[in-house]
Amino acid sequence: MAERVNTYMGGATAALDYDAELMLRVKDGDGESFAQLLEKYRSPVVHFLYRMVQQQAVAEELAQEVFLRVYRSRGTYEPTAKFTTWLFRIATHLALNALRDGRNERSQERLDERTEDMPSLQVEDRRPSVEQSMVRQARLDEVRRAVAELPGKQRAAVLMHKYREMEYTQIAKVLSCSESAVKSLLFRAYETLRARLAHMA
Amino acid sequence: MRCPLETRENREILVAYSSRALNGGDAQRLEAHLQSCSACREFVRGQRVVWEALEDWEAPTATADFDCRLYARMEREGSWWQRMRGRMGVLLVYRALPVAAVAALLVVGVLLERPLAPRVPAPQLTTAHVELQPDQVVHELDEMEVLDQFNHMMKPDTSTPRM
Repeated sequence: MAERVNTYMGGATAALDYDAELMLRVKDGDGESFAQLLEKYRSPVVHFLYRMVQQQAVAEELAQEVFLRVYRSRGTYEPTAKFTTWLFRIATHLALNALRDGRNERSQERLDERTEDMPSLQVEDRRPSVEQSMVRQARLDEVRRAVAELPGKQRAAVLMHKYREMEYTQIAKVLSCSESAVKSLLFRAYETLRARLAHMA
Repeated sequence: MRCPLETRENREILVAYSSRALNGGDAQRLEAHLQSCSACREFVRGQRVVWEALEDWEAPTATADFDCRLYARMEREGSWWQRMRGRMGVLLVYRALPVAAVAALLVVGVLLERPLAPRVPAPQLTTAHVELQPDQVVHELDEMEVLDQFNHMMKPDTSTPRM
């Protein structure tokens, strides 16, 4: 199997992409390999989509669609890139479509509400007092708003860079643009965030 | 080192340094630059605030039934696909074959029929002739004779010299 991946991708990097090997096994009809990929990437995909659309229900629906598309495409899968590049390209595409279609149009309104979408409220040991909790919640709301106001591609780039620690080259492949375009996207996005959040210091 | 903010070159190293992802010589050169550049210092300070704020933003984990729902959808999709394939197979066997047979018969029929088909004669560019009855001919000749006599009555004799 590793040889197959090497043939497709070439070089040592490809040999390290065990996920691509798993996906090739899924292509061969191995359901267990799909379960492994799901176990490994369920949370990263849900987290990414949640931060993109900022609604848990929508994020989960989109994440389900991501894995469904992975499964549907198993027959035609070719490991021409890292598995995560392919996976996050699907996720980003779906998220940007959802944002464009306004599927999370209520998300901005909901930022003002205390809903189950806010996991920070569930973390009890980080709330030594009600006042501190409220301050922390206000800061998080501000962060969420600032991220939500970024244009879709900038938002996706920041989330992949910050939370997935992806290289510029990989982000470029996910977003189907050049590496220099990604550097520019990220710089503008971080500048916007800095302007909005620098007062938090 | 040239100022990344002023020259707009290598601005990503400021982002990398702010997120503590810049090491080695690049980090040292930028730190030396930061000592003399307040704009870059301010950028790094603000960027670190952003970085820490983003750190605090936790995302919820997937709900417990995420996998169950996904596998159920896959199952439904799979069974739907199999049903469709099954139906298509039945269609192929029970409907497509008779249809194909009828189509084949039609083609054979057309091919067999073509030589026997009545040929439409090509239009001939001949002058149309009208069959006349004998009495019509006699009548026509009589009329011609009357006309001739009438002509003689109306015209003077050209053989007579004019005065």
